[in-house]
Amino acid sequence: MRAPFRIIFEQRSDTPKYLTALVPLVSVFAALAAGAIFLMSTGYSVSETYSNMLQDGFLSSRGITDTLGLSTVLICMGVSAAFAFQMNLYNIGGEGQGYLGMIGGAWAGLALGPHLPSAIMIPALLVIGAAFGAAWIFIPAFVRARLGTSETVTTLLLTYVAASLVNHFIYTPNSYFRAPDVTFPMGRTVPDSAKLTAIGDTRMYPTFFIVVALAIFLYWLVKRTEFGYRIQVISDSPKAAHYAGINSRRTTMQVMLISGALAGLGGATLIVGEFGKLDPGITMLGYGYAGIVIAALARNNFAAIIVSGILFSGLRVGGDKLQITTSTPIHIGVMLQGAILLFALGGEAFRRYKIRAVRMQAVAQ
Amino acid sequence: MTNTSHEVVKGPHHSGDAAPIALSAHSITKRFPGVLANDSVDFDVRTGEVHTLLGENGAGKSTLAAMLCGLYQPDSGYLLRNGQQISLSSPRAGLQHGIAMVHQHFRLVERFSVAENVVLGSRNLSFTLNRKSIDEKVAAVAESYGLPIDPSAIVGDLSVGQRQRVEIVKALYQGAEILLLDEPTAVLVPAEVEKLFENVHAMTAAGKSIVFISHKLGEVVEISDRVTVLRGGRVTGHVSGRGSTDTKELARLMVGRDINLSTQRASHATGHEVLQIREVSLKSEGVDILSHITFNVHEGEMVGIAGVAGNGQRELADTIAGLISPTTGTISIGGNMTTDRGPIAAREHGLAYVPEDRLGMGLVPSMSILDNLLLTRDRHIVVDRASVRPEANRLIEQFEIKANDADHVARKLSGGNAQKVLLARELSGGRAATKLLVVCSPTRGLDVGAIETVRRLLDDARSAGQAILLISEDLDEIMSLADRILVLYRGAIVHETKGEAAQLATVGAAMAGLNTEGAA
Repeated sequence: MRAPFRIIFEQRSDTPKYLTALVPLVSVFAALAAGAIFLMSTGYSVSETYSNMLQDGFLSSRGITDTLGLSTVLICMGVSAAFAFQMNLYNIGGEGQGYLGMIGGAWAGLALGPHLPSAIMIPALLVIGAAFGAAWIFIPAFVRARLGTSETVTTLLLTYVAASLVNHFIYTPNSYFRAPDVTFPMGRTVPDSAKLTAIGDTRMYPTFFIVVALAIFLYWLVKRTEFGYRIQVISDSPKAAHYAGINSRRTTMQVMLISGALAGLGGATLIVGEFGKLDPGITMLGYGYAGIVIAALARNNFAAIIVSGILFSGLRVGGDKLQITTSTPIHIGVMLQGAILLFALGGEAFRRYKIRAVRMQAVAQ
Repeated sequence: MTNTSHEVVKGPHHSGDAAPIALSAHSITKRFPGVLANDSVDFDVRTGEVHTLLGENGAGKSTLAAMLCGLYQPDSGYLLRNGQQISLSSPRAGLQHGIAMVHQHFRLVERFSVAENVVLGSRNLSFTLNRKSIDEKVAAVAESYGLPIDPSAIVGDLSVGQRQRVEIVKALYQGAEILLLDEPTAVLVPAEVEKLFENVHAMTAAGKSIVFISHKLGEVVEISDRVTVLRGGRVTGHVSGRGSTDTKELARLMVGRDINLSTQRASHATGHEVLQIREVSLKSEGVDILSHITFNVHEGEMVGIAGVAGNGQRELADTIAGLISPTTGTISIGGNMTTDRGPIAAREHGLAYVPEDRLGMGLVPSMSILDNLLLTRDRHIVVDRASVRPEANRLIEQFEIKANDADHVARKLSGGNAQKVLLARELSGGRAATKLLVVCSPTRGLDVGAIETVRRLLDDARSAGQAILLISEDLDEIMSLADRILVLYRGAIVHETKGEAAQLATVGAAMAGLNTEGAA
């Protein structure tokens, strides 16, 4: 009797380095393949759709600059999520902290813009936006550090409160943030001193370089400093942290506040950049949620987030343009993002397990 | 039986004409990630005998036992029960063939009575429990093997030895013919061990087969009819005949070379008091964890704290290390008050602490040896790893740590090497030169070779004038190393004796809470 095969998952004692890079790459292609099946079954041309997306997202000069422009806020949201994730803190409210960054940035621009020169106004606006983001996560951070309350729930719920706050500031008549002489409810644009000019003919702002530099700085912070060391000890072994006299509560507070500040900064880049005002449209864009996916795809590696942030940005830009140039539904871009996340998470199994087919144990005699 | 292994047959009877073989395993191989846990192992147990599986930690004893009872399935090889091939997909399948394991860590519901625990998991219970009939049935089973036990007692109120008896009665009640006892003596005090052995004899007399799993040579020689020695997943020898076995020979089969574990208690003068503990008490949720602990440890002295696990040892160590604040009382290290000052202050006054939980508390599993060295040291704002690397390399060499380099991740070290890394860091000082070393169960789970090294390191530290507090459940270890022995029972010191004058029976009785005055 021939014994049947069975599939066994064998835990790896060690993950080969190449798999860490390969799994995200393969998951992107697997997602594209899944998207292709969807496109074919709904009667669209796969090659046309993908070549359009590639052209409009990455290869045309307009496409790549739009992609880098949008990636600014996405990278910011990605590092915000990753900063908390690496200490096993699940701040999934980057979205809401980003709204607060916009509110704070818009307030700073409107209130201080008329009085300050650009060279002071722009940094001040970004810092105030970051401070508003940090303030928004203060309560979740405090109850997490003191009482162990799940930050996943509190940060998520506060996002809905933040969205209501944005709408309140725009839809309330005579609101400070609302454009006064327009009947249609929209935000008041900040003065020119609080706005950066786009680079050349593009829709890309110098904030892109600030954010990239920030991601590299964070990479260094975590790998090389005592603060990063502490984070690593706490995330791997809270008991060892206690043993070594590391104050876990304080570090938890610090990490969450920084995560909130980074998301707030992401919101503020939109004020000095393409938005220039508080705009309720932000609540439809989901940049903060996209940051979670970007961080996951990059496995919380800050340098890799720059790459995954640009990739996601390109998918969005390319996907958005499809709607205009062809009749392909806009949601193919969003769908691909979701598929990439699913495949990336599924790919974790390959990093942790070896998969082998073995013959069932031979029967003796 | 096998021609690959080294066979030593001693004793009066040759195993060929003895009782029939109840259970046998043939060419069993089991692989775990990175480890070949069992490499074509052959094993059998006869009706009415005690067959011991002897080996160091990691030799593959527990893995083999787990496959004998259905907890694991072998990758290859097969089992025969009374000559018939069986395949065990689960422990329940094992039970159907009359095979049961008594685990080292008991699986009992503390709030249930003895009888309720025994019948737990039986499939033929009626919807409503008739306590009286259950009690009677359980008592009948227990009595037939001479295992005295009160079926209506609540398990939470029982001693460790009694709980073990409940586990054994449970296995017998479920119809076990073959009992696998996994390190049954590890949790027992000497008097309880004696009781256990009586019970084992009663069971074999009644025709049960016992597979006894242990790494303690003395007791193995005392209890076993036959011994199979495992090393590195392979059978390295068989020995038969009770009492006639040479422990030296067994040790050699187990380790693969001659070993010497006896350390010389150096005759050396002890100096100043390094650790002073005065009236330290600790209460947690209204329960006394430690009560009125007072003692000193001097320069060049090793004080051993003996006791059964869970009598306050871990809390005492954590309190000295500044991880827990005592409710009342004071602690000073090198003449400096460290009570309530936290772990860093204690270290700044010369404390070093090797906790019982090595990987997870003493070491950060995902970090390299180098980063783990930094754990208890002063780290600058930007961690300067380059300047620590030479010291890390030196310590790896000096402590004979088997690692590729200082970037070797702690998780991938063997138990013995992880312990050496921990000792290397703690003995080499960090925030201050080490004056006081608190070590908890320093050799638990280590193989004999590593035990030898660790004991030598402790000995050297004592000779170098460090004060050492050795907290261990291994009474033999304390008896052979410590200059002074204190027995901790229910959070209080109940007995004190000089190391060389200590008597196993007296210390053992104190550990069990029997009233003895601090003699000697």
